[in-house]
Amino acid sequence: MPPVPAIEPVRTPALKAENVSKAFVSGHQRTQVLDHFSLSIDAGELTLISGPSGCGKSTLLAILSGLQKVDAGRVWALGSELGQLDLRALERFRLQHTGFVFQGFNLFPALSAFEQVELPLNHMGLSRDEARRRTQQSLEEVGLAHRMRLRPSELSGGEKQRVAIARALAKQPELLFADEPTSALDAANGQIIIDILHRIAHTHGTTVLCVSHDPRLVVHADRVLAMEDGRILSDRRNHTAVIDSKENPA
Amino acid sequence: MVALARKTLVYEWRRFLPAMLAVGFAGLLQLLQIALVLGIFGSSSLYITGSSADVWVGYPGTQSVSLGRTIDADVESRLLMDPAVQRVEPYLWIDGDWRGPRETGGVSVFVSGIDPAADGLMFSRILSPALRRRLAEPDAIVIDRSAQDQLGVDIGQTATINGQQVRVVGISRGLRALGGVNVLCSLDTARRLDNDPTDTGPTYLVAKLRDPAQARAVALRLRGDTAFGPYTAWSASDFANLSVRYWLFDTGAGAGVLFLAGIVFLVGAAITSQTLIAAVNGSVREYATLNALGVGVGALRKVVLEQAFWVGALGLLGASALGVVLMLLARSQDVPVVLTVPAAVACIVLVMGLAAVSGLAAMRSLRRADPATLLR
Repeated sequence: MPPVPAIEPVRTPALKAENVSKAFVSGHQRTQVLDHFSLSIDAGELTLISGPSGCGKSTLLAILSGLQKVDAGRVWALGSELGQLDLRALERFRLQHTGFVFQGFNLFPALSAFEQVELPLNHMGLSRDEARRRTQQSLEEVGLAHRMRLRPSELSGGEKQRVAIARALAKQPELLFADEPTSALDAANGQIIIDILHRIAHTHGTTVLCVSHDPRLVVHADRVLAMEDGRILSDRRNHTAVIDSKENPA
Repeated sequence: MVALARKTLVYEWRRFLPAMLAVGFAGLLQLLQIALVLGIFGSSSLYITGSSADVWVGYPGTQSVSLGRTIDADVESRLLMDPAVQRVEPYLWIDGDWRGPRETGGVSVFVSGIDPAADGLMFSRILSPALRRRLAEPDAIVIDRSAQDQLGVDIGQTATINGQQVRVVGISRGLRALGGVNVLCSLDTARRLDNDPTDTGPTYLVAKLRDPAQARAVALRLRGDTAFGPYTAWSASDFANLSVRYWLFDTGAGAGVLFLAGIVFLVGAAITSQTLIAAVNGSVREYATLNALGVGVGALRKVVLEQAFWVGALGLLGASALGVVLMLLARSQDVPVVLTVPAAVACIVLVMGLAAVSGLAAMRSLRRADPATLLR
């Protein structure tokens, strides 16, 4: 395999946190979750943040995705400084650029899989036809084309999570955030979800930031950050994953 | 556009049913209350609304049609001098003491002396031509179906009013009075029944205009003259409103209606908002996910408000259907119920307002749909 060319231009990171601090106060107890924390995430990669619960990884995800404000420090996403955006602007930023997949699938019981995916697209200003085309396409991509008329109650856990991924994917976001996407699923379904996330990063060029303690995810990530007590313990690049992406270009 | 609000309402209808019932019953209660009050107090003006006169002339300061005083009979010529007036008819109101053939004790009756001519104005909308003809007979009276037991008489039987003998020649409908019993007779019979020697002229003069639309202007014009003694004029609709309003406010019924409307609103809104809040809370994680995906809080609020709107509309539909059935039932039992367009609109406004307030209250719980809480 040829080495990565040295003349590759310096890419701006998709996500960047600089000297970020965040603390939570409950009663008289103040817990410093992140303290002068810095990190950058490259575009088009599947980055995994792993660590024990309470290590601050979910907080980090919330901060990098603009769902939570920092106490100190600055956060950039796709070149925009999130701290400068008000609530409306943050919503608009998320609408245009980000997708989310949560541990719970959070699907509306009354809507079919197709409608779950189409709903956020309605708010993006897409034409009806375009919204439906994208919905169809992303449901096909997660392998649910044949199940798209079913409601959540008629779908298995794995299928529900695939609908949730399709919902995020149909927006064609540059950033996809996933919080413990496999922890509610069995091995086989977990594996399917991991494969889909991996494929999204490599075929769509989406920056996928995944928070999980699921060890199965580690081998599929381009980069694995191990976190503990609000600090990065190790930062490893997984070369097989990178090479894999070169073999299967978008 | 995916119709999230409506689809959720249909799919989870059980969840929304209590709200719809609360809205529906609040609407029904209000509707029937207004219909009853309008029906009962509307009968205070049936002398006006049941007649085809356009302008009423009576003693100045008269507060309700049942509280008239005699005016000079010569006012009639003053009225006929006005080119807009087509014809004028006297109307006599006499308070009578009824003694029936059966043991009824004394019953206070309102005797209406009218022109029994076929084209007479008074009660032209209530009396059938046949009954009107029979009133021309001496001592003939017509009573309302609902008062038969009260008066203890049937057709053909005799009784006395103010000590004078009268004979029941017909039973009519829609003559139920407020605070007494209506008895209809001819002007001649009425004059004979009147035992107050100071009563010389008619209680009212009612006029038919060439152009009924001019009623208010003609009434105003007729008011100015004092040459024929004290009198004043009202358009029929103004006088009817005056009479109804007098009863509504004199008896405190108006305040009662408003008070109950307030209670109905509060109770309905409390139940409906709780139901909607529970529905929002049930989907709060899904709403938070949509917000994480960038769907604005404004759009989510719209979903809640739309659900409130549908709850209100469906509740209203149920209340209307049930309301019509109950009103028909009431009519068949001679219970006075009247629903006017403004009253119906008031009910609709109340119900939809109730739904809107509940929706606004439920919107507040959307604040819990903070996507950051989805990240544990």
